[in-house]
Amino acid sequence: MEHYLRSAAIAILLLLVQTTFMPFVALGGILPDLFILWLVYIAVRRGQIEAMLTGFGAGLLQDVVSTKFFGLAVLSKTVSSFAAGYFFNENTAEQTLGSYRYLSIVGLCSLLHNLIYFVIFLQGTEGPWLSSLVILCLSTTLYTVVVSVIPMFAFSQKFSTSWAQ
Amino acid sequence: MIRRIYDVLFLFKEYVLLATLVLLSIGMIALNDNVQVRRIRTVATVAFGVVEDRLSFIPAYFGLRSENALLRRINVSLADEASQLREEKLENIRLRQLLGLKQRSSYPLTAAEIVSKNLTLLRNTLTLDAGRLDGIEPLMPVVGDGGLVGLVTDVSDHFSVVNILWNTDFRVSAKIQRSRVDGIVAWDGRTLALRNVAKTRDVVPGDVVLSSEYSSSFPPDIRIGIVSDVQIQEGALFKTVTVMPTVDFVKLEEVFVMDYLPDEERSDLEQEAKQKTGK
Repeated sequence: MEHYLRSAAIAILLLLVQTTFMPFVALGGILPDLFILWLVYIAVRRGQIEAMLTGFGAGLLQDVVSTKFFGLAVLSKTVSSFAAGYFFNENTAEQTLGSYRYLSIVGLCSLLHNLIYFVIFLQGTEGPWLSSLVILCLSTTLYTVVVSVIPMFAFSQKFSTSWAQ
Repeated sequence: MIRRIYDVLFLFKEYVLLATLVLLSIGMIALNDNVQVRRIRTVATVAFGVVEDRLSFIPAYFGLRSENALLRRINVSLADEASQLREEKLENIRLRQLLGLKQRSSYPLTAAEIVSKNLTLLRNTLTLDAGRLDGIEPLMPVVGDGGLVGLVTDVSDHFSVVNILWNTDFRVSAKIQRSRVDGIVAWDGRTLALRNVAKTRDVVPGDVVLSSEYSSSFPPDIRIGIVSDVQIQEGALFKTVTVMPTVDFVKLEEVFVMDYLPDEERSDLEQEAKQKTGK
């Protein structure tokens, strides 16, 4: 129960940061997705099923708050969490989180997430659809990967301390 | 069985959960009514249409056997119905013609169906499904839509036998409608002829032959046939007049029996006269 409450608290905190603080660091309207960083963490540490359920809940929360396109964040976050779950390994989870592999997984999952999200979001829009998709996907993914360096260092620091003990 | 399903679901629980969550999220997306969803709906409809069109042969192929069986059954049923309708149409035509005859006749008529035919003998007959209980008696004339058919010879309660024109025992006094030439129509086993027509009398092919007033068995002016050939043989006293009956005995199915019997007084008198002269 405590575990679920903590997850809910983290989700709400991330949502607050994402909606209030992140717009200040937006580059040309591009925002990093903090939820992806958290979902990859959950997937690597706890596996596919918990990551999917968390992704579904986080997406639902995001959709409810944004009210732009209900269900879209749910779908993209559920699928990207499922993909991230393939990198679950109980024995190497801490090493994965504290290394460049975390960045790679974040990059991959973010790319998948953005691809699903923007393919649907850009439907029916005027102008060059494919180039808009590529630009939005790649730039958001890149920005998210750059931001994920911070937790990677934090994990590296935290887990290297625990290994030393 | 349930246990096995549960085992399979448990084995693929991640995929089952993914499919469930994806379906839920697609359901949520479908709740929107924005330009993106409308576009996706259009694309999905077109895509499903194309796929369905391409795959439509599969159920069609598997359904061919049952469809063929069904079509065969319908075909048999329709053929039967069409045959019945044709039969009823022909019967309708015949009955209309008979109705016309009934309206023209000055004698009461009893309708009867032919239940048996003998058309390959010297003494050809018909059997009718009307008998004594229907008011039929021996020596009553029988007519069809074409004209004279024959004479009733034997009667039971429900059936009667008719000697037709093609019977060597059958005789009828007849006349040519146009020239009023008299004769006797009889069948010799091969042809129907108007006999006793003198060489000098006016008879030509195409003349209509009717029953005459001299007949004691038949009322006058019943059509018998058409003269089809007239031959004059050297040394003979009479012409050979061949008559084609106006009734088609092969196709004949319904007839009328005329409520007409020979005048007994006349018959008796003629019989008495014959006895006196010794003939």
